[in-house]
Amino acid sequence: MSKHDARFWLQQIRELPLSKTLKVMNVCGGHERTISMAGIRSLLPEHIELIPGPGCPVCICPEEDIYQAMQLGLHENVIVVAFGDMLRVPVNVPKNEARTLQQAAAQGADIRPIASPLEAVQIAQANPDQPVVFFAAGFETTTAPVAAMVAQGLPDNLFLLLSGRLTWPAVAMLLDSDQPGFDALIAPGHVSTVMGPEEWQFVVDKHHLAVAVAGFEPDSLLAALYSVLRQTLEDRLFLDNCYAEVAHAGGNPTAQHFLHNTMEVVDSNWRGVGTIPASGYALKPAYAAHDARLQFPDHQDPKRRRIGEMPPGCDCTKVVLGKIYPNQCRLFGTACTPRQPIGPCMVSDEGACRIWWSSGTRESEQQPTRTTATES
Amino acid sequence: MQIVDIDGFMARCQAKGVERDVSLFMLQGETLAVDDYVMVHVGYAIQKIDEQQARSSWELFDEILAVTDSPNA
Repeated sequence: MSKHDARFWLQQIRELPLSKTLKVMNVCGGHERTISMAGIRSLLPEHIELIPGPGCPVCICPEEDIYQAMQLGLHENVIVVAFGDMLRVPVNVPKNEARTLQQAAAQGADIRPIASPLEAVQIAQANPDQPVVFFAAGFETTTAPVAAMVAQGLPDNLFLLLSGRLTWPAVAMLLDSDQPGFDALIAPGHVSTVMGPEEWQFVVDKHHLAVAVAGFEPDSLLAALYSVLRQTLEDRLFLDNCYAEVAHAGGNPTAQHFLHNTMEVVDSNWRGVGTIPASGYALKPAYAAHDARLQFPDHQDPKRRRIGEMPPGCDCTKVVLGKIYPNQCRLFGTACTPRQPIGPCMVSDEGACRIWWSSGTRESEQQPTRTTATES
Repeated sequence: MQIVDIDGFMARCQAKGVERDVSLFMLQGETLAVDDYVMVHVGYAIQKIDEQQARSSWELFDEILAVTDSPNA
């Protein structure tokens, strides 16, 4: 059987002499979607737990940033553009106010979904007399194209409300904590494609855990899972790359060059989590004329940081950090569904709650079906 | 996606019958030609896709172990 066939790796995994539970975290919404949609959990031996971790940039985008984007749309004569799934993330405001960018648009704000930074440039060029604010949330894979857009030259009327985040600092934060909650890591394929697989070497060197970069087909994910399980069992730890056809050594140096030249890495707030050191991107001073945070400062409200956590009753923070599975939130599938989402994890296509719902998990399971991730 | 046509930093790419305009601005260090495959994210090609490679370093390790453990080695 081909080593590019998921069944080969599934068989390899089943033949491993697993005697105790091993918890393997992924930090990529795309990985979690493949795992859930292909039903991989149900195919694995009982000693393996696959835990979705911090892999959804929309889910941890600060509430005050979304609020600011909404206020810009509602109170300034600007066009706000944002990646589509950002438009339905609720902020914490009284019931009579617009709660999402989409609802702000219904109240008259000019807020438009886009799928690419190229569209932001096109909209700015088509509306030269009107400021266009690009609310750009995303991890490295998405922020690098934003940096490329900046480096290629921005129309004078295009401004950035940048909420870019780095993936590895959240993993480092978990690993530095008393209870990381996982025994091995599957590293994100597209982040590694841009930044280089080597970025994850610290998991082995500093934390003595197995790590493997995976792509998005089941065979690549299962190869990575097999690799980290065998690494752990044989206590022979290394950074494996199970997505080598795309995630090349060193990543994409041109993309890194654009990130480095246009943006600085700064301490940044993660919704529900708090500030993680050196975990976010901010535009460099040379691009201040295009920085919406500087050019439209009126709608920033530092007080929102206290009320800008996850909504009351919502366990998105625990879901994001891999402390519980999505269906262990008591709102899952009851008060919180994709049609009426309460927390961001039920909104974004990369949110674990949305993915679990879409792959058929519909009911809250408050009695944990697994040992809780914090016990390890 | 597979490159159908290249015009400066922009390419027409197709996958499964869907065609899109894709920026090649982040692959300036690569030599790209029609029929090459690129990985695309939010409208930008983020990497040229190589030929299929080993799925895991264990494949190589096992080959080495098989040789070194062989009685004829």
